[in-house]
Amino acid sequence: MNFLRTYPKKLFWTVYFIGLTVSLILDFVWLRSDFLHYHFPFQYLPEFFAIFGIFGCMLLILIAKGMGCFIVRDEDYYEKNQGDQE
Amino acid sequence: MTGWIHPGIVVFLGGFLIPFIKWRKIKVAYFLLLPVAGLTIVVLTSIGFFGTVPSWPEALHRWRIPFLQYFLVLGKIDKMSMIFAYVYLIAAFCMNIYALRVKNDWEHVAAMAYVGSALGAIFAGDFLTLFFFLETMSWAPVFLLWFRGTKKAMGAGVRYALWHHFSGACILIGIVIHLNRTGSIDLVHLPWGWGGEFLGYNLMLLGFVVNSATTPFHSWLSDTYSEATPSGSIYMTAYTTKTAIYCLIRTFSGIPLLMWMGAIQAVFALFLAVLENDGRRLCSYHIISQIGYMVAGVGIGTEMAINGAISHALCHIIYNALLYMGAGCVLVVVGTAKFNELGGLYKYMPISFWLYMVGGFSISGFPLFNGFVSKVMTIEAAELIHNAPIYLLLEGATVGTFLHTGLKLPWNMWLQGKDEPPPTIRAKLKDSAVNTPVNMLIGMGILAFLCIFMGVYPKVLYDRLPYAVEFIPFTTTRVFSIMQMFIFTFMGFWLLRKLVRGYPTYTLDTDWPFRMAGRKVIWFCEKPLMAFANFVDEKVMNLVHFLIWFSRNPALALHIKKEEAKLKMKRFVVSQETVEKHLQILGEKRRRYPGELPKLTLGASLVLILLSLSLYLILYLLIK
Repeated sequence: MNFLRTYPKKLFWTVYFIGLTVSLILDFVWLRSDFLHYHFPFQYLPEFFAIFGIFGCMLLILIAKGMGCFIVRDEDYYEKNQGDQE
Repeated sequence: MTGWIHPGIVVFLGGFLIPFIKWRKIKVAYFLLLPVAGLTIVVLTSIGFFGTVPSWPEALHRWRIPFLQYFLVLGKIDKMSMIFAYVYLIAAFCMNIYALRVKNDWEHVAAMAYVGSALGAIFAGDFLTLFFFLETMSWAPVFLLWFRGTKKAMGAGVRYALWHHFSGACILIGIVIHLNRTGSIDLVHLPWGWGGEFLGYNLMLLGFVVNSATTPFHSWLSDTYSEATPSGSIYMTAYTTKTAIYCLIRTFSGIPLLMWMGAIQAVFALFLAVLENDGRRLCSYHIISQIGYMVAGVGIGTEMAINGAISHALCHIIYNALLYMGAGCVLVVVGTAKFNELGGLYKYMPISFWLYMVGGFSISGFPLFNGFVSKVMTIEAAELIHNAPIYLLLEGATVGTFLHTGLKLPWNMWLQGKDEPPPTIRAKLKDSAVNTPVNMLIGMGILAFLCIFMGVYPKVLYDRLPYAVEFIPFTTTRVFSIMQMFIFTFMGFWLLRKLVRGYPTYTLDTDWPFRMAGRKVIWFCEKPLMAFANFVDEKVMNLVHFLIWFSRNPALALHIKKEEAKLKMKRFVVSQETVEKHLQILGEKRRRYPGELPKLTLGASLVLILLSLSLYLILYLLIK
C-alpha cells in the first residue's frame, strides 16, 4: 500500500502542460475547420472556453472575497450573540 | 390493494426492528438486507412480475385504498418513479455499508424511516399520500441531527423542523385549495400563474421550492447538513431535495421563473462556497448549486431538460453521497473537517482521497464520469432554447464546481502543507496508508464504481428515463470545450490558491434575517411580554388578597375602609395630632382584624337564608 503514499507531482505537471498546449493549438486549428458545432456565436471566439475557464474562476474567487468583507463573521457568530442577550 | 409490495413500507417498517435484534452479526445483515429487499421488489416490478409497467406517461396503479370519498394511491408505478426508486435504494445500500459502525441503533431506524418515506413519496399517486410521506420525511432528519448530541446540532434540528413544517404547511394549503377547486386529489401537473386564483398553486410551489433548497430558501441545507452525524448527513444529502425535485417535475415543470431561479442559484451558491471553511458545509453549497441545474432543467421544461433534470438528480445522489462520505471520513478519523486545521492528509488517507476525487470529477462534469452525462443534457437544453444567459450561468457554475470540489477541498484537506498534517492532527493518525475504517471505504468504493460505470456507459441511465433519449453526450465539441475549460480553471486556481485557503470564519447566508427576526421575537417574548405578564399577574394577585382579607369580616372591613376614606378627607381640615391619633386607632383595628365575628342566632340565620332565597325568586320571576 505504501506506493500510494506519495502523489505523482511530476507526472501531473507534465500531463497538465501537454494538455494545455494541445488544447490551445487544437482550438485554433479546429475553429477554422468545420469540426466544432456550437449554438451561440460567442462560443466560436478563439480560445473562448480557455478565457471563460480562467477568468470565470478568478472572478468567482475575487468577487466572493469582496462579498466576504460584508458577510464573513466569527465562527461562533450566532452562539456569541445569543450569549449577549441572556 | 393486492398484487404488489410497497418497497418504501418494507424499508420504513423494517427499520423499526433493528434495535430489537440482539445478535450483532444478524443485525448487520438485516440492516444491509433492508435496501436489498426493496431493490428486489423494484427489480421484480420492472420485469413485470406485478404487471407490465406501461410506457411513459401511463402508469400502473397499485394499492388503491378508499379514503373518505377519494382513493389513496400508494403505488403509482411509472418510468419516473421506477428510476428514482432504483437509485434511492442502491444509494441506501451503499450508505448503510458506510454507516455500519454507528453504535446507536436508533440512528439506523431514523435513516431507514427516511429512506422508506422518500420511496413512499415517489410512489405516491395522490396529493394526500404525497403530503403524508413528505411530512414523515421531514421528521427523520431531525433525529439524525439530534443524535449528534452537540448543542449546535440540537439547534440545527429545530431549525430544520421549522423550515420543513413551513414548507409542509404551504403544500397542505395548496392541496386543500386544489381539492376545493377540482374535487380530485390525483397527483397531476398543475397550472401556474400570477394572481389570486393561483394562490394555492403558488403556495404549493413555494413549499416545493423550500424543500428543494432553491435560492433564496437554500440556507437550511448548508446550515443543517453540516451539523448531522457523519453517516446521518449522507442520507440527508440524497433524499429530501431530490424528492422535492421529483415533485416539481410532476407538478410544476416548464415555469420560466424556476429556470431563472435555478440558474442564478447554481452560481450564487458558489460565491458562498469560496468563503467556506468547513468541508461538509462546502459540499452542502455544492448540493445547492447542483440543485440549481435540476431546477433550471425543470423550469426549461422541454423533454430533454426534464430528462436532464431527472438524470442529474439521480447522478447527483450518487456522487454527492460520495463527496460527503469523503469529507465525513476525514471528520470521523481526525475529528474535524475544517480547512484551517487540516492539510497534508494524503500520506495517511490516500484511498479515501482518490475515491473522493472520483466524486469530485463527477460533480465537476469530467467526461467519463456520471456528472458529465447528466449535466450536459441540461446545458444542451438551455442551448437549444437559445437562452444565452442561462447557458452562461450554468457553464459558469461548472467552472466554480470544479474549482471547489475538484480543487479547493482536496487541496485544503489532503494536499496543502509539506506532505505532513499539522501535529495535532498527525497525533490521531496511524503511520499507515489506511486510516479510514474499511466499511466506509467499501461504501465509497461502490459509489465510485457507479460514478464511473454510469459515466462510461450512460445507456444504463438513458434507457430508463421517461422520455426516449437520442442523445450522445460524448461529442468532440463538448468533450474538447469542457476539458479546455477545466485546464484553465486549474490555472486560475493555482494563481489564486492562497486566497482559497480556509480561515476560521462563519459566512452569513440568506437565513440571517430569519434568524435575527426569530431572535427578536424571542427577546420580545422574554423581555417586554414577560414584564407585562408579571404586571398583570401582580395586580390580579393583589385583588385576590384583598378579597380574601375582605371576606373574613366584611362588616369590620367596610368600617375600616370607611374610616380610612374619612381620614383622608379630614387630613386637610383637622390638626396633625388628631390625624395621628386616628391613624393609631385605625392601626389597632387593622391589627385585631378580623377580630370577634358577630354571632347570629339560629332564627336570624334562617331569616337571612329565607331573605336571600326570596330575593333570588323575585329576580328569577322578573327575568322570566
